[in-house]
Amino acid sequence: MRVIVADDSALFRAGLVRVLQSEGFEVVGQARTADELYALLATEQASLVILDIHMPPTQTNEGLIAARQIRRQYPDLGVLLLSQYVESHHALELLSQSPDRVGYLLKDRVADVDEFFDAVSRVASGGSAIDPLVVSRLLARKRAGDLVDDLTDRERSVLALMAEGRSNDAIATELRISRKTLETHIGTIYSKLGLEPTGGEHRRVLAVLSYLRSS
Amino acid sequence: MIALRRSIQVAVPALVVLVCVSDLLSPSQQSVPLWLYALNYIVPGAAFAIAGLVAWSLRPANHMGLLMMAVGVGLLIGAAGILTPVSPLARTISEFLRLRVGHPSDYLFLALGPLWAVVILHLLLAFPSGRLGARLSRGLVAALYVFVPLISLIGLSVPFEVGLGSWLQIGYTTVRSVVYQTCFAVGFVLIMKRWVQGGRARRRSLSPVLWSLAPLSVAFLTPTLEGVLQQVIGVPDAGPLVDSTNAVALASPLFLIVLPIGFLVGLLRSGLDMTSVASLVVRLSNGLLPEQLQPALAKALHDPSLEVAYWVPALESFADLNGRRVELPGPDSERAASILDGAASPVAALVYDSSLRHEPQLVETAAAAVRMALENAGLQAQLKAQLEEVRQSRARLVEAGQRERQQVERDLHDGAQQQLVALLLALQATRAEAAQYGDKRTAAMLGANIAALKQALVELRELARGIHPSILTEAGLVAAIQSLGERCPIPVQLDAEYSDRLPSHLEATLYFVTAEAITNAVKHSGGGRIQISLRRRSGIVALDVCDDGKGGADLAAGTGLRGLSDRVAAVGGQLTVKSHHAGGTTIHSEIPCA
Repeated sequence: MRVIVADDSALFRAGLVRVLQSEGFEVVGQARTADELYALLATEQASLVILDIHMPPTQTNEGLIAARQIRRQYPDLGVLLLSQYVESHHALELLSQSPDRVGYLLKDRVADVDEFFDAVSRVASGGSAIDPLVVSRLLARKRAGDLVDDLTDRERSVLALMAEGRSNDAIATELRISRKTLETHIGTIYSKLGLEPTGGEHRRVLAVLSYLRSS
Repeated sequence: MIALRRSIQVAVPALVVLVCVSDLLSPSQQSVPLWLYALNYIVPGAAFAIAGLVAWSLRPANHMGLLMMAVGVGLLIGAAGILTPVSPLARTISEFLRLRVGHPSDYLFLALGPLWAVVILHLLLAFPSGRLGARLSRGLVAALYVFVPLISLIGLSVPFEVGLGSWLQIGYTTVRSVVYQTCFAVGFVLIMKRWVQGGRARRRSLSPVLWSLAPLSVAFLTPTLEGVLQQVIGVPDAGPLVDSTNAVALASPLFLIVLPIGFLVGLLRSGLDMTSVASLVVRLSNGLLPEQLQPALAKALHDPSLEVAYWVPALESFADLNGRRVELPGPDSERAASILDGAASPVAALVYDSSLRHEPQLVETAAAAVRMALENAGLQAQLKAQLEEVRQSRARLVEAGQRERQQVERDLHDGAQQQLVALLLALQATRAEAAQYGDKRTAAMLGANIAALKQALVELRELARGIHPSILTEAGLVAAIQSLGERCPIPVQLDAEYSDRLPSHLEATLYFVTAEAITNAVKHSGGGRIQISLRRRSGIVALDVCDDGKGGADLAAGTGLRGLSDRVAAVGGQLTVKSHHAGGTTIHSEIPCA
């Protein structure tokens, strides 16, 4: 798989590239700024861009703006945003634009190789990957009259994995349950939370995250 | 001076009593007409003497009282002269006075007799300050003081009746009448002029005097009235002291009876009480604009013509608020001035109607109040400038602090955090390699190190977030507050009416207020939920953080809230805490935002 990496930290870039290459990815270009990234995209064929939220010149949200722009311009390109911090706000914003081929992870996740490449493959194959920290924070969040409290532990685990953007197969494997059992759980979750089971496995992430984030 | 005052205060009533008693003692059948005629003098004389005494006691600095007493004494002496033939007491007084004056000075005594009439004119012209203002008034009065005794002396010394020719007597009488009438007409015109030109304060005091002149004017204008009166009373020849051919007004002092009351009332009315100045002080203490000062002062001193002139060092002169030069009046003017001195140069001057001269204490008090107000205004301006300077420097400090925090966060982000994440990746790669080569022990050790490093990263991340949350710069206040809410152990409901970005230092201020308020609510309120509302309206951003806890938060008590309040104040805003027991706590912040 052809990947472009954009991050202004050479050290991190080097580490990321090594991890990617060790897993057999082909890093076709490296950029330090959003502009360099645009230039690379214009010339290089790639199926995934991994970029940092903070990039020069203002080090604020260049990565977010670039991600939005790239996804509009190259809808078939997977975009994985990395950040030192993860915020539900950004996750929702990315998913709202389109829940397809998008990922948003804490930079540390790169070190958890299996988890990281699971997320990368999900994004590359058209799905989404939301950092577990975002999901766990939203799940841990206290709300008045919270329907999430009515869920069983198992159902909460299922909900969390759904919110991370995992497929049913992945969830069933992760939780070591059958697909059928999982589907029962999902049905119960939807009915307990009063959610409409819309879209496929890819699309439900937005609904679930929106639900968790709403007050 | 005090002795003199005391003796006058004793002598005048004594004289009044003495003359009245002598009057009461004297009546006999024959003396009734004479006695009635003397009453003509005694009643207004006593009235003038007593009114003068009262006026003098109330306004010791004012000469009006003394002048009025002089009129009274003059009239009473005249009465004593009239009663000499019938009243033993009056005779005694007369003889005593003659004894004191001595025979050759008889004429002097007699000549001075009619002077009371001149003193009345003097009084009228000097009213109410007791000072003769215009040069014309002073000339007129001075001339009369010389002329009237002179004319009386001529009338007494020239033996008309012996027959130097009746034409001489007629000529003398005519000249005298014309002179008197002209003088009094001029005097009347001068008084009327003062009425017409005077301000409200002057008219207020002049009007009782003018009203009390009415009977005199009537008598003056209808000389026949005097004739009728004389017919009714049947005045005998009263001797040289009583000149029945004089101008009627002079010859009928009875018409003066209300005049002393008019003078006294006028004088008291011109006396402004301290309450008007006290209310001025109150108004001044409430803060008056410079343009409000003059009307306030004019009102307090009952002088609409009052002007406040400010010292302009560049002009070396006084000027009004419009910058027009103001010349201070001279000592003889109808206007008077008080200068308010400052430390080095005058501050201002009050220019007012000269009728206020006899109220020096009042004017001084008002002037002192004004000076205080002017000095206060100056100090306030200085203070405001200093406060503004302090406010700006505080705002700069807070902003600088904010920038520093942001910079520290960014340095951590770009430096330590990046390097540690890179190190994490490197360690991860090394562990993978170790595992690949079957070095399980090294792999396990590296695994432990990796876990420790991850924990360090988490902690570093939280530290950096506390210094300055990057979400605030990335996505603004609403997202940052939402993020705070997601981390809060009790439910937080955010109701934000707007989502556009504010200047970063305002966002930071409101963010930290929210963060601190949430922390307080979680730690101390014992409440079950937090409600946050963020509104923007007409140049103000308003933030409310409310909990439903037990209340009791006090801005004055804790350093935390105090610090928040300082922070909000530093950006020109205001933080208020409403905390009721069992009613929860609301921390309300308002920050101006264009």
